[in-house]
Amino acid sequence: MRLFNTKKPVAARAEGRVEAVAKVTGSGKYAAEYEVKNVCYGVLAVSAVAAGSIKSIDLSKAKQVEGVLDIITHEHKPLVPGMADEAKIKETRFGLPIFHTDKIYFRGQPIALVIADTLENATYAASLIDAEYNTEKANVDFESTHPGVKLSSAGKEKGTLDAWSGAAHIVEAEYNVQAEVHNPMEMHATIAHWTADDKLVLYDKNQGVNNVQRVFARLFNIPPQNIEVSSEFVGGGFGSGLRVWPHALASVMAAKQVKRPVKVVLTRPQMFSLTGYRPAAWQKVKLGADNNGKFVGILHQSKNNTSKYETFSEGITRITRMVYNFDNLKTEQATVPLHLSTPTWMRGPGDCTGAFALECAIDELSHKMQVDPLELRMKNLAVTTDPESGKPWSTNFVNECVEKGAAMINWKERKQVPGTLTDGEWKIGYGMGIGMWGAGRGNASAGISMQKDGTITVKTAMTDIGTGTGTAIQNITHSSTGVAKNKIKIELGHSDFPATGSQGGSTGLSSISGAVSAVCDALKQKLATYALVQKEVYKNAALPDILLSETGVSYKTNNNEFVSYADIWKKNNLTTVDVEASSGPGEERQKYAFCSSAVHFCRVKVNIKTGKVKIDRMVSVADGGRIVNEKPAANQISGAVVGGIGMALMEEQLADKNLGNLVGNDLAGYHFAVNADAPVIEVAFINKTDPNINPSGAKGLGEVGIIGSAAAIANAIFNATGKRLRDLPITPDKVLA
Amino acid sequence: MNGKQSYSRRFFLKTSGALAVLAAIPASVKALYNEAKNFIVPPKQTFPLPVSINKKMYKVTVDTRTTLLDLLREDLHLTGTKKGCDHGQCGACTVHVDGERVLSCLTLAAMLPGKEVTTIEGLADGEKLHPMQQAFIECDGFQCGYCTPGQIMSAVACVKEGHTSSVAEIKEFMSGNLCRCGAYNGIVESIQKVAK
Repeated sequence: MRLFNTKKPVAARAEGRVEAVAKVTGSGKYAAEYEVKNVCYGVLAVSAVAAGSIKSIDLSKAKQVEGVLDIITHEHKPLVPGMADEAKIKETRFGLPIFHTDKIYFRGQPIALVIADTLENATYAASLIDAEYNTEKANVDFESTHPGVKLSSAGKEKGTLDAWSGAAHIVEAEYNVQAEVHNPMEMHATIAHWTADDKLVLYDKNQGVNNVQRVFARLFNIPPQNIEVSSEFVGGGFGSGLRVWPHALASVMAAKQVKRPVKVVLTRPQMFSLTGYRPAAWQKVKLGADNNGKFVGILHQSKNNTSKYETFSEGITRITRMVYNFDNLKTEQATVPLHLSTPTWMRGPGDCTGAFALECAIDELSHKMQVDPLELRMKNLAVTTDPESGKPWSTNFVNECVEKGAAMINWKERKQVPGTLTDGEWKIGYGMGIGMWGAGRGNASAGISMQKDGTITVKTAMTDIGTGTGTAIQNITHSSTGVAKNKIKIELGHSDFPATGSQGGSTGLSSISGAVSAVCDALKQKLATYALVQKEVYKNAALPDILLSETGVSYKTNNNEFVSYADIWKKNNLTTVDVEASSGPGEERQKYAFCSSAVHFCRVKVNIKTGKVKIDRMVSVADGGRIVNEKPAANQISGAVVGGIGMALMEEQLADKNLGNLVGNDLAGYHFAVNADAPVIEVAFINKTDPNINPSGAKGLGEVGIIGSAAAIANAIFNATGKRLRDLPITPDKVLA
Repeated sequence: MNGKQSYSRRFFLKTSGALAVLAAIPASVKALYNEAKNFIVPPKQTFPLPVSINKKMYKVTVDTRTTLLDLLREDLHLTGTKKGCDHGQCGACTVHVDGERVLSCLTLAAMLPGKEVTTIEGLADGEKLHPMQQAFIECDGFQCGYCTPGQIMSAVACVKEGHTSSVAEIKEFMSGNLCRCGAYNGIVESIQKVAK
């Protein structure tokens, strides 16, 4: 295993993320950790059947437990206005109408919430709740159900299928991916506190405080500004925090019921059925090329499971319409309702699953054609124009990622004939996969508050789920204003701060960087206006000419036409200078298409006796525009690749076909990659600015790191063994079969 | 113990055991037993616990069911120690008890008298961070930060145990601490740095 070069100092000085000290000392407060006076505890009891309805609930034993304050069920609850009737439930689109129905849609659905003075009492009481059900036959079997579901179009068809039916080289295969669960290390939690009849305070784990505000405003028919949401530290999201889940509503209902703050923390098993997951998926890809290795056509079909109470479509075939040029292209999809909870977006949603099939199919085609899969890809990449919209890419350096990554892993060591390289009882193979993601940008706002001593605080409602948003904001603020980093404080994740979209879909940095640049300009402009009173030169001064230092404002060069903050504050009788600005996507979106990309290379060792797959090396090269925040950016990519290793080799959430329950739904039963499962991931960036996407030139990196990585591993396993394994995860039994 | 309960634990265990033996007995008897069982909801028991945490003595009254983890987080508001699974499967709750790494979710508070507990809050020397905390900052050994206190407590123990001769060895001895963000690069690098 490759070692870090620790001879080279890791950092010139101990400069880490803005929130680093809070994280390494444990002082940062996550949702469940706020000290709220008089708080009590809510624990959910869940259904023991997967389909039917509740006949009766026996609370008699639970109520005997001391300290129990109340127990909420569908028969005993404060009515949520947004769930008053069927029509409202539909209109509010909350998802599971928790405690407002007697219907059971999946096993593990909450049927009661015990509220008690201590966690121990609430947990014990919840364990004593019994229910009787009108049980119906449940269906949780994706594999046997999906063939009966009809496909429908997923995007416009290009050309025809017939046009390439006689292509020189055609491969056609089916691919399956088992359901995966986000499992952020922090379990979802909410502390709800009604401070008045129509005023709600929430400490909640989520990826967007303004979204939480809106959802509860709709549910309770109160103005969003009456709802205060804090999510300063978020222990991982991966998409699971983009929705408001039933337990959060349960805590809010409970707080209303007992007129006290209520804390609900999900248990780890509950995290598997109550906060979404990546759905199980079936795919079929038919891919053709001519004798020159030019792709002539593709048919990509996909189906994913959903629940019985909501439809969730993954968008699995989207990636097929984006990375390569095809003259003929057809994509189809379908959803398969089962008695399971609703899936949701999980890191690289859709594309991650789609890229597995697409990138494996390309590998299969290259094998059939006896050409290098890298060469085949390079011939067909759509690097200048987005095939879907026909617009030019603003920037797309995926080809450079391929070249750089190939050099790093020493791709030329790869043998075209599978099974050629061996090391004792280990077979060695190389594989690659490409990931791409539409680089988005949303509307965002940020504010700055400046003190007389030159200290500034940048505030935005955006959360930092671990991506390094706060640090990036500090970097951008520093380069825009010239204020020293140690004088820039960052405050995030509170609904009182300027509003933003959620941190998801790799749009966080792209969106907020625009707002931060704008608010830095606003600050300079405002200080110049104040300085104008003393120095005429600041009248109509251009922004780049207004310089800020630790002590004051200068014009064009340091200390020229200097006006101190002290003077400004004194003359204008100020306590703070406050500015706020918003920004969002504009015309550039009409002119250009935007994408981020990552190319993954993998060298695996496969043990021919045990079937064990060891990832020997993993190299990922990404195009994320300008890299504003190098270490956290590399961390994002390597972390996502670790997720890809899990997807490729171990992660699967199965359901028992007879009982409808999830199997092994805890961290001992559901395996994701531990430290020893991953090699040291080698990450590099192209690091070229995208001049059009936003003022920082950075494109989002959160998703691309996982997209295509599982395919790289599966393709490497084929190259090592000659076994084409099309069903994820590739566990040792499949390798040996 | 201030046990005021009308049915003792021993009674409950004996009765349950008897039921297994009496499995062949007619249904009416079983029903009678089940009815009796409905009244058996053992009340909460508490006990006075003196415990030293981060070299500070606490005297608290604790529920017998309370784990060290919940004692720290819910009763003492030392929330640096994290709950990731509550079942000893993730390592987020790792603390040191008498200098050894221990999963606080699998440790009952009742096991603590006479022991010295060190949590992440007790690792730094005042304002001065522990070298491992410093290394995690410099090597960016985290993302969301939730598993970090557990990682750091394990990392400190890993170095002390001497399991740092190679990346592979560090990885092996740190595999009880899960990180869903996948910040394993930085975690290993931090440990290597401190072990040098």
